[in-house]
Amino acid sequence: MTSIAIPRPAYAERPWILDWLTTVDHKKLGILYLYTTMFFFAVGGILALLVRAQLAVADNTFVNNDAYNQLFTMHASAMLFLFIIPVWAGFGNYIVPLQIGAADMAFPRINALSFWLIPPAGLLMFSGFLFGGASDVGWTAYSPLARSSGVGLDLWIIAVIILGVSSTIGAANFMVTMFRMRAPGMTMFRMPIFCWTMLVTAVLQLLATPVLASGLAMLYIDRNFGGSFFDPNGGGNAILWQNIFWFYSHPAVYIMILPGMGIISEILPVFARKPLFGYKAFVFATMGIGGLGFSVWAHHMFTTGAVLKPWFGFMTFMIGVPTGVKMFNWLGTLWRGSITFEAPMLFALGFLSMFLIGGINGTFSAAVPVDFAIHDTYFVVAHIHYVLFGGAVFAVFAGLYYWFPKIWGRRLDERLARIHFALQFIGFNLAFFPMHLLGLDGMPRRIATYSESAGWETLNLISTIGAFLIGVAMIPFIINVVMAFLRPKDQPNDPWEGNTLEWWTTSPPPVHNFDSLPEVHSERPLWDLRHGNAAH
Amino acid sequence: MAAHAVATQEKQGLSNGMLGFILFLASEVMFFGGLFAAYFIARSDAREWPPVYLLTPEQVAAGVKLEVEFWLPFIATILLITSSVTIQLGVFSIQRGNRSGLIRWTFISIVLGLVFLVMQVYDYSQLHFGIGDTIYGTTFYTLTGFHGLHVLGGVIFMGIILARSLAGQFTAANHEAVEACSFYWHFVDVVWIALFTTLYIIP
Amino acid sequence: MPSTGKLRVIRRVNLLISAALLAIASISPAFAGWGMPEPITDQAKRIQDLWVFTLIIAVAVFFAVEGALLYAIIRYRKKSDALPKQTHGSTALEIVWTTIPVLIVITLFSYSFIVLRDVEKKAPSDALSIEVDGFQFSWQFTYDLARLGQGQAPAQEGTFSIIGTAANEPTFVIPVGEPVEFRLKSNDVIHSFYLPNFHYKLDVVPGRDNRFVITANQTGEFTGQCAELCGINHALMRFHVRVVERAEFDTWVAEQVANKATVRQP
Repeated sequence: MTSIAIPRPAYAERPWILDWLTTVDHKKLGILYLYTTMFFFAVGGILALLVRAQLAVADNTFVNNDAYNQLFTMHASAMLFLFIIPVWAGFGNYIVPLQIGAADMAFPRINALSFWLIPPAGLLMFSGFLFGGASDVGWTAYSPLARSSGVGLDLWIIAVIILGVSSTIGAANFMVTMFRMRAPGMTMFRMPIFCWTMLVTAVLQLLATPVLASGLAMLYIDRNFGGSFFDPNGGGNAILWQNIFWFYSHPAVYIMILPGMGIISEILPVFARKPLFGYKAFVFATMGIGGLGFSVWAHHMFTTGAVLKPWFGFMTFMIGVPTGVKMFNWLGTLWRGSITFEAPMLFALGFLSMFLIGGINGTFSAAVPVDFAIHDTYFVVAHIHYVLFGGAVFAVFAGLYYWFPKIWGRRLDERLARIHFALQFIGFNLAFFPMHLLGLDGMPRRIATYSESAGWETLNLISTIGAFLIGVAMIPFIINVVMAFLRPKDQPNDPWEGNTLEWWTTSPPPVHNFDSLPEVHSERPLWDLRHGNAAH
Repeated sequence: MAAHAVATQEKQGLSNGMLGFILFLASEVMFFGGLFAAYFIARSDAREWPPVYLLTPEQVAAGVKLEVEFWLPFIATILLITSSVTIQLGVFSIQRGNRSGLIRWTFISIVLGLVFLVMQVYDYSQLHFGIGDTIYGTTFYTLTGFHGLHVLGGVIFMGIILARSLAGQFTAANHEAVEACSFYWHFVDVVWIALFTTLYIIP
Repeated sequence: MPSTGKLRVIRRVNLLISAALLAIASISPAFAGWGMPEPITDQAKRIQDLWVFTLIIAVAVFFAVEGALLYAIIRYRKKSDALPKQTHGSTALEIVWTTIPVLIVITLFSYSFIVLRDVEKKAPSDALSIEVDGFQFSWQFTYDLARLGQGQAPAQEGTFSIIGTAANEPTFVIPVGEPVEFRLKSNDVIHSFYLPNFHYKLDVVPGRDNRFVITANQTGEFTGQCAELCGINHALMRFHVRVVERAEFDTWVAEQVANKATVRQP
């Protein structure tokens, strides 16, 4: 075995609170990201439970219509802008430099800026509740409705612009880090698959987020300076907002799911003891999804009557192809493997089975006439939750269970993890499967209440029970984490027999990450060390 | 910096900082792309341009006219293009190690940038329409306004470069910030040429 | 020979499956239309056929992939410390499983394209044409006496309107068996005109002239509502349509015209 020695720089000791507030260490920033985003996950989850409580029975008056609109708007805004998108930046921050054998991100201080923009933006967004009501026009903020909503929406616009800046500069940082700071021997096609998905995500963020920022600037001008961008009476265009918004937000859907796919693709090979089946095909499929992601935005707008329906329908169907390739590659990885079922693997398999549904029920919207029926109904709500909860959230937990020993050096309890998984899996399906049926039966999304005569009560009640079960599922998780912090830091470098460089260094890693680096000859350098190159 | 340079492969060509800066400019291109898209959609929606038919009687009575002045912005355009040349001459100077050349050309570029801004503000004051006067006024002031903010940002950037060159921080071998600044200024210039063409020349 | 433990597991699985089937059977009458409500127009029937076709393919794909996943999980559990064979991929397989989805989506696209073309056919010029105005927070349905459809000589000039409020949901009436055009208008924000039994919705966009055509094929009363978030009382923007025979429709129109209050002379 050969390794490359790395000189160790000296560090100054600082009080820990100052250290955390001023750190530019990618690992500490990664941990701050994870704490912050999990906090907003909890907030968004509580809002979701309030939404479900209101919808549990017909003609409910648990919250009024005004409050309801704020609840679901802030639920989605918190979950998308303050949880899912930045949580990947959190995992990426901690893991990407370790996986490519770098000492830090390319721009550590810009990295700190990326993080520190998020908490104030989150507070700003939620401060609307103190000033006469938070944004109440949905996370999509469709104009012209959004031209006349209250001051909560201005706060929301500014918050989303700040979050956009955070994710844009973060994206440039990730790209430079991965282009320029890989360990000797690590060619692009030996880069771990999680890094690849972070890279494609970064490209999408860099190119799509500024377009949203331009749209938000227009909306702000319309609202505050008498602009006419989205006002047909002044020569503006009511559909323009949707075009700009979805030009960002459809790629954003892939921003929200691609890193999750990357995490799954790290976990499956480790616990099936085989390499990822079709590594290069997987990389190309990821790029394909990223590229096609820019050409399907108008499938959110078929019912506006203002878009070229056959083209966007066709492209939307096509994006199912690289997604299918990924699914088959994951199956190929499991096939003839030697599979064990530790917590990360349970959540990874949960991801596969649920994301499959999210992939399939999305194709219905590509069939334009079927979309006429299901658009803006609970069918679409079911679809996005199978993708973003069944997909992204399961991947978040898979990643947390997988990297917890590395990040915190402590062990999570397997039994509690299994209870967490079972409750979350059942609760998730109870909450979201009935929404397919509700949507088909004609229940529109974003309605504060429904009439008893509509006949939607039973399914809604089941869904509400499922949502609360998801809430209950978080209890064993929290207990697990708290108990882990009471245990000593006793985890070895490589508790799972991992493949990638983060398992080469100590758990948790030293400030400078690596005392030495092994030679990299494949995308699984640690596997090569354990089994020799002959095992290929 | 040494700590961060460990474990990286030394590569030829662009530095990390320059690569990051170019990526930042790519995101800026997308931002202006969104604004331009809004402008062209508004034009294709309109029966005629400028859309005078959208003016309400009150607006007409208040003296709103959807017309822009040509010659003043034209002179401003010439000045801005000139400043792009001068900042580049500054880069060429420091590449040869000529620090006083860098100081001189940067100073001239700053002055040109400031004159451009003053002319733009004066031009605003002479126009007979506001940001609320139809989509014409909205797109005009939004596009030129965001560009103006970028000019201001560029002037500040050049000011920092000037201060640093006066402090003797740049040499023939080490002047990356100057090049980044010139990239940014060229970008601002190109956006203006596109803006001038669409807002003032295309009827 | 399976062990008794395994047999017990199999019995339990059988029990679970029967319980699931029973549950599905008990709710199935509510979802007789393959999950969709009854189609009441020719266009809705076409869309439902497309839905069923897509659903069959989707369910087949779902069971195939989920089945393969379950099989792999059960069959390839770790049994020994021996390393499995390290296969890195297969170009042939990649081509196969790229081609199959491509063929499936081209099929689905072609079928949906044909249905799209058919359901978006324009109305004949003599069809009944109704202007639908969405506003915060109800609907107004305006009939033009010169465009009442079905070769009816224009009875007279003018229009009449059904105007609803959030508390008093409007009901409008259309005849069965003939094309009816809806012209959608809004002066405030975007609404969406959605009637589940049409299997269709179209947004009501300020500044846009959106229209669509349906031909109802059965009589009855049906409920629809706004499907695009439009403000505080979005949930209350419901409306009802009564589909009746032509003669009954004519009578209804005559009643409306007789009620001068709702008729506006041009």
